[in-house]
Amino acid sequence: MPEHAHKVFADSRGSNLYQHDVDYKTKHVSVLLPECSSAPSHLDSVLNNFSSFYLIRKLPVYELLDRHFLETAVYHGAVFGLSYRTRIDEDTCVALMPNGHLTLSLDKDSFEILGFEGKPSRFKHRTATRFVVSVDLTDSSMAPGRRSYLRLLTGLKSRLQLQTDFLLSHHPGGGASLQPLLSRCDWSQHRPEVNCSVLTDLSCPAPRSCDPHNLLMGYDIIAAVSFLSSFVCPEPNTIHRHALSVSVSGMLLPHDIHRLLQELRRYVEQPRLASWVSMTVRGFADSPVSWSNHEHGFLRGGENFYTLMMFHDHTYQLHLATGAHDVCPP
Amino acid sequence: MKQVEEKEEASVYQRVVLKNASPYHYLKVRLVLEDESTRLSAVELKYFIITGLKSLYGEVGAALNFDVLKYDEDTLTAFLRVYSRSLVKLWSSLTLLGSYQNKACAFRVLQVSPFLLALTGNSRDLQLD
Repeated sequence: MPEHAHKVFADSRGSNLYQHDVDYKTKHVSVLLPECSSAPSHLDSVLNNFSSFYLIRKLPVYELLDRHFLETAVYHGAVFGLSYRTRIDEDTCVALMPNGHLTLSLDKDSFEILGFEGKPSRFKHRTATRFVVSVDLTDSSMAPGRRSYLRLLTGLKSRLQLQTDFLLSHHPGGGASLQPLLSRCDWSQHRPEVNCSVLTDLSCPAPRSCDPHNLLMGYDIIAAVSFLSSFVCPEPNTIHRHALSVSVSGMLLPHDIHRLLQELRRYVEQPRLASWVSMTVRGFADSPVSWSNHEHGFLRGGENFYTLMMFHDHTYQLHLATGAHDVCPP
Repeated sequence: MKQVEEKEEASVYQRVVLKNASPYHYLKVRLVLEDESTRLSAVELKYFIITGLKSLYGEVGAALNFDVLKYDEDTLTAFLRVYSRSLVKLWSSLTLLGSYQNKACAFRVLQVSPFLLALTGNSRDLQLD
């Protein structure tokens, strides 16, 4: 029976509360501000200044092993990327993390053609159909010229000839290190998309007293037609006259999310009508890695997201949700 | 499994892990019709799905409780809620529903999750042109 692990950290105090392990593969963040109809200017400026990212079309994956790219970008922990529009349960997926780990999720045939060490996916049926190759590019055994490096390079360049559309992003200040790679490829730059909507007469369960599953409701999509649905807002609940829902989607950097979080904390600490705000951060469903570099898969769904509810009195609740093909986050 | 840990500086953490605890599953589905100009109301959609359940699972199947949480008539996209134990029955009957008013149709199940919040964003829909 598949597992859906779901965790709640409840009512924690302290100034350094946000120290959970960062998931780099963030696709979408949405913020709900009850009793608010327009974003305050500081929040607005943070939301509209998320870093841009690049999309490279048909990147030959061996280019990620280019010596100059490794020395100027990967070794400095400045860059990360993920294959674009590849499905983890069907296609080959590639992920590059800032810590220098390159992860490939391959089907059996591709894995055998590649000819490099890997492990069967931990989420498997009776026979292994997917394999994961995980390489630490910063390790001395993967230094350019070494045997393992050459073996992987040959595998990606000659045997498998792996090419994929690739999303690439860099930490602030690391943009110059990507230019040589981009100049060899067909690339485009994109900004995360920001969408705002004001919801009216929103019925929300009281955050502190309700079941965690009830809390993970997408209120902004519920406009239930009453006679076709027995859905009711869980008790106890409050009705908010209006609420602002803002979402940002694209390839989002942890430091931008951290800035947003700090801004939301400042917002909720001021005296307001509503005593809480919530921020939901969703990862890519098709990323081969999730929290703490653990393997991530897609069974019926590839959900890996968390919702942080921050309260006026410096407490918070963190709800983490993962799918069946996931390891329990730390 | 419940863990309570005491930390210094008077901050208290409580951690609760729930596995397979969601009573409901949520589906995001789209109806694709051969005749693209046909429109269904929410009531018609629900009735259509019930007929599919009935044809596959009989009267007992047709009595299966599911909710249409939200429906967009323009895109024929709906959010459904069903008890987790009935998910397979509903999903299989949607798969095998092949015709609406004697014209070919198909249900595309776009997303399934025990968390409704997961259905508000799908990374597979990311389009960068």
